[in-house]
Formats: sequence, C-alpha cells, structure tokens
Amino acid sequence: MKKYLALVKLLLVKQFCQFRAASSKADKRKRGGTIALYVLLALCFAPTVVAIAVCMYFMGKIAGADRYLGTFLLLMCQGLVLIFGVHSVISTVFVVKDADRLLFLPVRAHTVFLAKLTVAYINELITTAVAAIAVLLPFGLGASASAAYYVMLPVAALLIPMFPMLVGTLVAMPLSALVTAFGKNSLVKTILRIAIYVVIIGLYMFLMYQFGFLTGSENGNALDNPEVYVREILENLEERLHVVMPYFHPDFMLMTAMTAADFAQWIAGFAAALGENIALLGLVFLAALPFYRRMLVMSVEEGGSRRKKGNETVKMENRGVVREIMRVDLKKTVRDPQIGFQSFAGIVMMPILVVIIYFCLGISDEGDASVLKLISTSSLYQAIAPVVILAYIGFIGAATNVLGLYPISRENKSLSVLKSLPVPFNKVLLAKVLLATSVMAVCDLLTCVLIVALLGVKWYYGAAVLATMLLIGFGSMCITTLVDLKNPRLSWDNFSGLKNMKNSWLAMLVAFLSAISIATLSAPFIVLYALFGQWFWLLIMWLVDMAAGGAFAAIAYKVMTAKAAKCFEQIEI
Amino acid sequence: MIKLHNVSKTYAKSQTKAVDEITLQINAGEIFGFLGPNGAGKSTTIKMITGILTPDSGTIELNGINLAEDPIAAKSIVGFVPDNHEVYETLKGIEYLNFIGTMYGVAPDLLKERTEEYASLFDMKNALTDLIGSYSHGMKQKLSVIAALVHDPKIWVLDEPLVGLDPQSAFRLKQIMRKRADDGNTVFFSSHVIDVVEKVCDRIGIINHGKLVAVDTLENIRNNDKVSLESLFLTVTADGEGK
Repeated sequence: MKKYLALVKLLLVKQFCQFRAASSKADKRKRGGTIALYVLLALCFAPTVVAIAVCMYFMGKIAGADRYLGTFLLLMCQGLVLIFGVHSVISTVFVVKDADRLLFLPVRAHTVFLAKLTVAYINELITTAVAAIAVLLPFGLGASASAAYYVMLPVAALLIPMFPMLVGTLVAMPLSALVTAFGKNSLVKTILRIAIYVVIIGLYMFLMYQFGFLTGSENGNALDNPEVYVREILENLEERLHVVMPYFHPDFMLMTAMTAADFAQWIAGFAAALGENIALLGLVFLAALPFYRRMLVMSVEEGGSRRKKGNETVKMENRGVVREIMRVDLKKTVRDPQIGFQSFAGIVMMPILVVIIYFCLGISDEGDASVLKLISTSSLYQAIAPVVILAYIGFIGAATNVLGLYPISRENKSLSVLKSLPVPFNKVLLAKVLLATSVMAVCDLLTCVLIVALLGVKWYYGAAVLATMLLIGFGSMCITTLVDLKNPRLSWDNFSGLKNMKNSWLAMLVAFLSAISIATLSAPFIVLYALFGQWFWLLIMWLVDMAAGGAFAAIAYKVMTAKAAKCFEQIEI
Repeated sequence: MIKLHNVSKTYAKSQTKAVDEITLQINAGEIFGFLGPNGAGKSTTIKMITGILTPDSGTIELNGINLAEDPIAAKSIVGFVPDNHEVYETLKGIEYLNFIGTMYGVAPDLLKERTEEYASLFDMKNALTDLIGSYSHGMKQKLSVIAALVHDPKIWVLDEPLVGLDPQSAFRLKQIMRKRADDGNTVFFSSHVIDVVEKVCDRIGIINHGKLVAVDTLENIRNNDKVSLESLFLTVTADGEGK
C-alpha cells in the first residue's frame, strides 16, 4: 500500500507540480494573472453551462425524479468522460515512457498499473465534476429531488468515471495491440487511432440517436413550445429507457439510491452501485494487467531492434530552412505515440460536430420536413449559419490544435538543438505556425465541404468561411505560439500533463475572443440584411470579416516575430 | 578562436551564479580541455558559447564574431556535441543529419559525402535508416558527433564527448579532434576523465563554483608545478563540496 501511494504521489507531482517555480514576488504576480485568467474563462463559458443547466432543470421539472431518465443522464455524462478520457487512459497507462525508470524498482507491475489507473481516474474526475454540476444538480432541483439525491451527488461524481474508465481501458487494449501490429508505420498508426476515436464518438451518437434524444419531436420544435417538445421526447424515450437502462446496472442502482423514496431503497441502491463498480474495476484490472505487462516489456525491448545489413543509399535533399523545420516537426509529431494522436484528432472534431447537427436537425420521418429544411428556407439562414459555423471553427480549431498550443513545449529537452542552430528564431516560429495552420486548414476544409453538402450553406459562403478561417487560424496560432514561447514546459515525460498548463486555458481564451469578435463584427451587417434584404450587405460583411482576419493575422505575426528573439533567449534549458 | 570576456550567468530560478566572470581565450589550432567537478559551471559555459543560453553580462566572440551581435553568423561556424543526447528520438538518423545539414546550409552532395565518411568511420552506416529512439547511448553520441561535423565547423565544442563510446570510437574521436586542431580549427571540450584530458589537450582550464580557478598548458603544469593534473585538479577544487 505504501508503495502504491508513493507511486500515485510521484505520478501526480510529475503531472501537476513538476514545473512549479520557486516562490517569489514575480511568481505571486503571475499567480494573480492566472486567477484572473480562470475567472475570465469561467465567465466566458458560463452562458453555455447555464444553458445546459436550464435545460436540465426544465427536464427535471417535467419528468420528475425518474430513475430511468436519471440513469440515462448518468450515461450521457459517462459518454462525455469516455470521449475525452480514452486517450488519457492510453497515454497515462499504456504508452509508457518511464518503463526503464520503474522496472528495476522493487515494486510489482500490478502496483504500478493500479497507480497509473488511479492517476487517470483522478484526471477524469475534473470532467465528471463539471458534468455533475451542469447536468445532475439542476435536474435534481427541477425534479424537486429529496435530500438523498444531493447527499449522493458527490458519490455519483466519484463513481461516474468508473464505467468509462473501464470501457476506455478495454478499448485501449485491442487498440494498442492493433496499433503495435503496424510496426514502424507511424502514419498508419496515427490514422488508425483517429479512426477508432471517430468510431467511438459515432457509437455514442448512434446510442443517443436510438433513444430518440437527437431526433426531436414530431410536432413543432424546441423554439415554438419547449415544454411540449421535451415532454414528447420523454414520452418517446420512456419505453426504451425502461427496457434498456436496467442493463447499465451500476448506474441504474446509483440512480435508484439517488431517487430513493425510503432508507431501505437508498441503502440497497448505494451498496449495489458501490459493489458493482468495485467488481467491474476488479475484472478489468485482472484482464488488463497481463496486457500492461506486455506493453511494458515491449516499450523496453523496442530499443534493441535489428539493424538492416548491407549498404543502403544515403539520400540528401535541401528543401529550405522553413520547409525542413516543418517537415521534421511533422514527422516527429506523427511518430510520437503520445503527441501524434492528440495533434491530429482535433481535425475531426468540427466535421463531427457538423454531422451531429445534421443528424439532429436534418433528418425527419418520411414525408415530414426536417427542422433543417424548415430553417434553411428562411432568408436569414444563409446570413447567420456560415457566421455561426465560422465562430465555432475559430473557437474549436484554435482551442484544440495541439500543434499550435504547444509548439515549443512539444520540443521538450531537444529544444537545445533548435537553440543552437544558426537559424533566426523568427523562421523557426514561422515554420511552427505554418505547420499548425496547415493541420487546422484540413479541419477547416472538411468542415466547409460538410456545411455545403449537409447543412445547405451556399458554396460561396462556404468558400468565404474557409478563407476567413485560414486568416484567423494563422493569427490565433501566432498568439498561442507566443504564449507557449513565453512560458514553455520542458522536461516532461507524459504529454497529457501539458493539458493542465495555464497556456491551454490562455489559448482557449484567445479562441473564445476570436469567436466573439467574428460574431460582433458580423452582427450589424446581418441586421442590415434582415432589415433591407439586399445581398450586398452580406458581401460587405464577408469582405469586412476577411479584412479583419487578415489584419489580425498580420498584427499577430508581427507581435510574435518582434518578441521571438527575446523570448527564445530567455528560455533556460 | 573562442574569446570569453567577464562572462557571468545566474539561472532565473537560482540565487547563485552558475558562471562567475569568466575570462578566457582559446586559440585556433588548439585543443582546450575544460575540467571541473559536477555542477561547477562547465555545461553552462558551453551552452553560452553555443548560443543556447544568453550570458547576463560579458561578451563572447567566436572567430571575431560577437555572439550577441550576430548570433546566426557565430553559430554557423560552431559544431556542438551535447552531453544529454537530446536528439530527436522519433526521427531516423539520416533524417536528423539531413535536417542539420539544411539548417547549416550544407549542399546535399557535400552533406552526403561527409555523412558517408563519418558514418563509416564510426560504424553507423547501417543504423542511419533506423529511428534514433532505437539507438543505444553510444550510438546517439556518435550521431551527435557526426551531426556536429557535417558542416565542417571552425569551432568544435564537445560536452563530455567520450561518455558511452566504445574504445574504437573513442580512439577515432580523439584522432579527429587532433586533426581538426592541426588544420587550424578550435576544439573545446569538457570532461571528467583527467587521463583523457592529459592525453589529448594542449591546454586546460579548471572551473569550480562558476569561477575559472586554473588555466595553463599541460607542459607548464608538468614542468613548473611538478604535480600531476589529477593532484592539481584535486587541490584547486578541494574547498568545493557542498557549497
């Protein structure tokens, strides 16, 4: 037990505290800035969280403290943890970079495995806490749930990650094995990981769709009469939930305890939920341990690969400094099991969101007009929809693009190589920004094709979205690069630890502000178009958006290059 | 030629000076050995010479080029072999050399010729198409040495270059160091191994607590002080422990 606790402490310290600076006045000032940043971010995201909470409140009010619906909500929260948590499990538990530092210690493999699983679980608790506050708490308030519900909320928050953690571990095993089967072909490995990630999200959406949660009601929509809309969805759901939900027994028992009418039901539900979760954990632990051992051995043995015999031709090419830095950076990223997946999974996020919107609004029963078809006939649709999409891509693209968020931290200890090269730092940064923008451009292109094909946006608006987004994306990447340059984290051995750094939150704020700016700039033109119905207002809007995007890109690039040399020099390796 | 004038460095997260007003000149055609106990300031000095760290005060000149005023020109004549082998593990050896060659502006044909020459010399030819992550410690060291030589640097800086090398490779490396110095280049290297320094170097410097405590030719040390280099080293660094 002592060894297990020491390992958990070590892993947590490595993840959260390894970059802790010595306390000083400057640090206190920095801390003040960090708190201000978090407050600002909380304010930015508050509207979204409040909107979800209000929906859940009304859902609770209409449905009451129904344990079947409650179980379904638990499952929804777990789906979110699963989507955002699988790669964390893979990178924390199975993609081991510290094997050579742990194998010689007098600690059993299962102790290390359990410690790593615990750290992955603690990471997931953050997502769960947000989900519990935004979904379960307002649902309980709306349903006028008993005191037992609120007493059990913290317990629910602790138990929610169990099931997705277990599913994540089970998914991670064949996934890692399959990926290993592709030998040294890193590109195929990364594509395979992303494909499986898409499949997981697809399965989750399919599950929600099957329950009728994404299809809406038959009569009217949420905007006309929200109560009728929600009531109808719940009626559609009821029958299916009653059949399916008991199969998710640990969740069902947990919700039974939360909505218990008496003590006996509460204690029975609580004991069953706790026992079943522990049993599941035990089962997965036993199943995954041999696999973990195998991965551990493989990670140590891979260094001893056989060298090819014979003289292979040595090919040398000169491509120019910026292109060569981009090429090498791309190869390094793709081949790194920890960074590769996280860098390129962002490409599919926005296109998936468009597909989800299409499934939510664009599909209807035979003969009925879909919600999408109804709203797309409105003259304002072509004015508003592309701007909303642009704001979303701007936000998601900049906030999730790992290549742009950690261009310097990604270098880790080998940053000293870059610093010793006779290359101006501006060129190094330009290469980094261009690579991040290029990857983001793939996401932008996919999204624009999909909004034209699925959401009925006219192709020239799609092209305008793409052009504006490329400019804004370049500008955002310049800023996030500068942020990382000013405060890089080097000497890491678990890339998922970087996700907790202040820079990620700062990048999210940049992304949020660019999205808000796009909306604010476009709004007056949309109003003018709505009032006068003349098409040239939209033309002017896009020209202004593009000009603003161009100006943003130019200014951000100039600021970045002006500060590059000084910031680079100040990095101490 | 390497010229350091009153160079000092204190790390942001530390109160003590890692390097304290060092003034030193290493001439062309010379192999200079830089000795010192752990944490004495050897690597910090080397990182400042190679442009990885910026000195708080003082100036560094490389073949007459001020490193602070024209860092690109100064860095382009330096070849650096680091002590931590933090080369890109997810690249293949050949890709890394191609990258370095491009950064130093070496023509592809010349780069190919030099790569083949040094790869054969260090028995690395068959390993170049493998990922660096699969290399042993010594192989990474050899790759760093090759990467530092492909642009034919006028100044060669090596931080603990012999650690991890097999005897044949160590012998070849020492031969190359001698040849480069004889060709009029400057070789600056740090080491813990006093025997190696004694055999290879023309002149030595000893650093302790960030201060340069001794600089002289090996001949003078042997003739004047009548002591071994080891005794001299132990004497001048004797007060150091725990400070």
